[in-house]
Amino acid sequence: MAKMHITTTINGEPTEFLCEPYETMLDVLRDNLGMTGSKEGCGSGDCGACSVTLDDRLVCSCLMLAAEAEGHEIRTIEGMSEGEALHPLQQKFLETAALQCGICTPGVLVAADALLKKNPNPSETEVRYWLAGNLCRCTGYDKIVRAVLETAADLRGAAE
Amino acid sequence: MDSVVEDNQLGMMKYGIGQPVTRSEDPKLLRGEGNYTDDVNLDGQAYGVMVRSPYAHGTLNGIDTAEASTAPGVIAILTGADLDAAGLGTMKCGLPLKGRDGSPINYVPRPALATDKVRYVGDPVAIVIAETATQARDAAELVELDIDPLPAVTDARAAAEAGAPQLYDSVSGNTAIDFQYGDTAKVDTAFKEASHQTRLNIRNNRIVVSAMEPRSAVGSFDAASEGYTLNVGCQGVFGMMNTLAKQVFNIEPEKMHVVTGNVGGSFGMKAGAYPEYICVLHAAKVLGRPVKWTDDRSGSFLSDCHGRDHDMTAELALDADGKFTALRITGYGNVGAFLTAVSPMMPTMNTLKNANSVYRLPLIEVASKAVFTNTTPVTAYRGAGRPEANYYMERLIETAAREMGIDAIELRRRNQILPSEIPYAAANGMNYDSGDFPTIMQKAVEASDWDGFAARKAESEKRGKLRGRGVGCYLEVTAPVQEEMGGIRFEENGDVTIITGTLDYGQGHWTPFAQVLHQKLGVPFERIRLIQGDSAELIAGGGTGGSKSIMASGAAILEASDIVIDKGKKIAAHVFETAVEDIVFEGGAFQVAGTDRTVTVTELAEQLRGGLDLPEDLPRDLSVKHIFDAAPSAFPNGCHVCELEVDPDTGVVEIDRYNMVNDFGTVVNPLLVEGQAHGGIVQGLGQALMENAVYDSEGQLQTGSYMDYAVPRASDVPSFTFATHAVPATTNPLGAKGCGEAGCAGSLPSIMNALVDALAPLGVKHIDMPATPEKVWAAIQSAKAA
Repeated sequence: MAKMHITTTINGEPTEFLCEPYETMLDVLRDNLGMTGSKEGCGSGDCGACSVTLDDRLVCSCLMLAAEAEGHEIRTIEGMSEGEALHPLQQKFLETAALQCGICTPGVLVAADALLKKNPNPSETEVRYWLAGNLCRCTGYDKIVRAVLETAADLRGAAE
Repeated sequence: MDSVVEDNQLGMMKYGIGQPVTRSEDPKLLRGEGNYTDDVNLDGQAYGVMVRSPYAHGTLNGIDTAEASTAPGVIAILTGADLDAAGLGTMKCGLPLKGRDGSPINYVPRPALATDKVRYVGDPVAIVIAETATQARDAAELVELDIDPLPAVTDARAAAEAGAPQLYDSVSGNTAIDFQYGDTAKVDTAFKEASHQTRLNIRNNRIVVSAMEPRSAVGSFDAASEGYTLNVGCQGVFGMMNTLAKQVFNIEPEKMHVVTGNVGGSFGMKAGAYPEYICVLHAAKVLGRPVKWTDDRSGSFLSDCHGRDHDMTAELALDADGKFTALRITGYGNVGAFLTAVSPMMPTMNTLKNANSVYRLPLIEVASKAVFTNTTPVTAYRGAGRPEANYYMERLIETAAREMGIDAIELRRRNQILPSEIPYAAANGMNYDSGDFPTIMQKAVEASDWDGFAARKAESEKRGKLRGRGVGCYLEVTAPVQEEMGGIRFEENGDVTIITGTLDYGQGHWTPFAQVLHQKLGVPFERIRLIQGDSAELIAGGGTGGSKSIMASGAAILEASDIVIDKGKKIAAHVFETAVEDIVFEGGAFQVAGTDRTVTVTELAEQLRGGLDLPEDLPRDLSVKHIFDAAPSAFPNGCHVCELEVDPDTGVVEIDRYNMVNDFGTVVNPLLVEGQAHGGIVQGLGQALMENAVYDSEGQLQTGSYMDYAVPRASDVPSFTFATHAVPATTNPLGAKGCGEAGCAGSLPSIMNALVDALAPLGVKHIDMPATPEKVWAAIQSAKAA
């Protein structure tokens, strides 16, 4: 079967790639495009390690066919920081040590960023339920949740 | 040894011991630039997929690879016969543990691929190698296994009974070891003479480890040097190198180069060698190209070693005053179908070492069998006997207190070892060097707003909820340190590299190790690098495990630093044209005593690089390769207090508040230590309330995905209040005690004691883990019916 030719936008960059019809967005990111920041933790949409946004909507890239990116805009962890400057969420995670092994962290950050874009003032419960799609085995979530809440407060303060 | 904490200059303190320094590796990890094994791709690599047994137990008559071999992209299919023909050895368990009659562990060799029998669902029988992973997966489904199924046994107690299916002809009663410690007659007498006996049958439920990074390995082989390279996530490359080289490939260790980048969690599970690693290494040699294997999550559930799985009877004897007179733990540990390097330890020696906890206990007996079953092999999982042993003891205490009508805190107070009794020689053979157990419990109690509980309970009742409170005191015996490398290399570019054989799989070793070196030698923190994951750099390495890394590598770095200082003094004496005895080392600089003539370590290293004209008997550089010999176990301890609510209509348990006070000895980096405690607590919370690996009667794993097996999510857990009360260890140069497993040890008992406390008014005396809503609801209903 011929490969499919896909034209899309990834992290703001117009991108074209060839893929098999059965390949997932995660496969293409990791194997074809060399963007290994998104991780496969389960391949079934249970762990969130592969989280990306599709037109600002949070999705598991392991459940999305690469061909579905045609004409849409994908954002991944690689597009989160601007050059050397970390995104405020990344900076807060750094300062509070809200990551340990780091394998779930890209997905957590992408998900948290999507939350704050949708809801700049989430409650702790809202943060916990939003991030319930991102499994982390190391941190116990405490520092992650606090980092997201503190970042949200910082961003609100900066916007005032 | 020079005092560690002698440099209090403000400039150095920012990155010194005890400071909450952020992790040096995090900018990369936060950008998604971590280098985990599946991120490694080598030129020309092929892809391997394992063929696994679908039966829990059976005779393997044959493997038909004919159709699979002709599938698109398939390069090779290797079976156990191929590995045998190549003369590969088997993985072994070499623990020196002895059974009650003095006999060694009834060990069985584990081949990488089964040849005669299959012994659990997931037991690997072949590897299919193809040009792409998809082709390998498709072809693996075409491999036909001719297996005659045999009756399976998955429960340790049942497997040890007469008439149970036997996994091995050479192992009677499926028993790997029949362990016994303690004076049975004396313990019997103590129980006969006791005023009160408390007895609990306790299940230590089986855990799927579920590191979020599935295991992965890339094997390659260089024909010219006849050397193998394995990229793999593990817990120590030096041990992995030796295991593979000596046990399996029969080659010199330096021909087995093991490289580990970032590791996405392990918790004990990735410590040992696995069949897949042997397969990709051998396939790489046969095919002359690298071979990569990455598990999918379904495979992880079956093939990653599981944790826990003990059935114990725990008994406590008390006198009329509530003083403990004897502890007895008897039962079974399920080791699965094969032994790992450490698996017989958990239900036996580690249970013994840790059950004593913080209490005065004249007599202890542990008698337990480690038993083979048709299940995934079990290995160390966060705590490895420590959390469960503390759990048994704390559940006994709480139960005894209720039965005897003594306040549970008071009962603990009467039995806690006092600081004045330390050093304390425990009945289990441990010798506690330090600790202040009563103060820690008191602080934890106060932090929990103990006196406010009654009002909170009344408020809960108004909302129809049952509130409970539980205490979990714990004391853990960390793994002793043996032979750890302390390497310090002064690089050409001015960096200083620490080389040591522990291995970070999420703990964050780089920063605290650098803090130790920075404080000791004064070299700039930001110029310090860390190498752990390259076996070619190591002359020793005990790996990480048993909460020992800061004791091992920290001490190794300190001793190596002393050698750097000795070398530096000689060189500085020459530079300053004075006697070595006149040189002092202070604040990171060599100084001619009583003068202002100084040179820092960094400056001296730079002068050496520039070329100093030195006499022949002086060292040429400051670099050191040192091996730290040994340090005994340390005894991290603490007290957790959990408060929770139960919804009696649904059985749902919600933790409302959680406090802990811990003694980790000297804390090098509190920012990271707190995170270790959090993670450990939540793994314990998972075991206590949610997680359970379940097999059906045929040995099929019924909890084989995240839909069936509940790992705690952010919405399932509370926030935590963390404090420390440090009493530095006297048995290692840092005074550290280790912290990696303590969270689990405190959370299992505090959560389960709180739950039973909530349900006690209904008449519930004990509930086993995991206390799922279904189980809690059923317990409430049956209590009401009774």
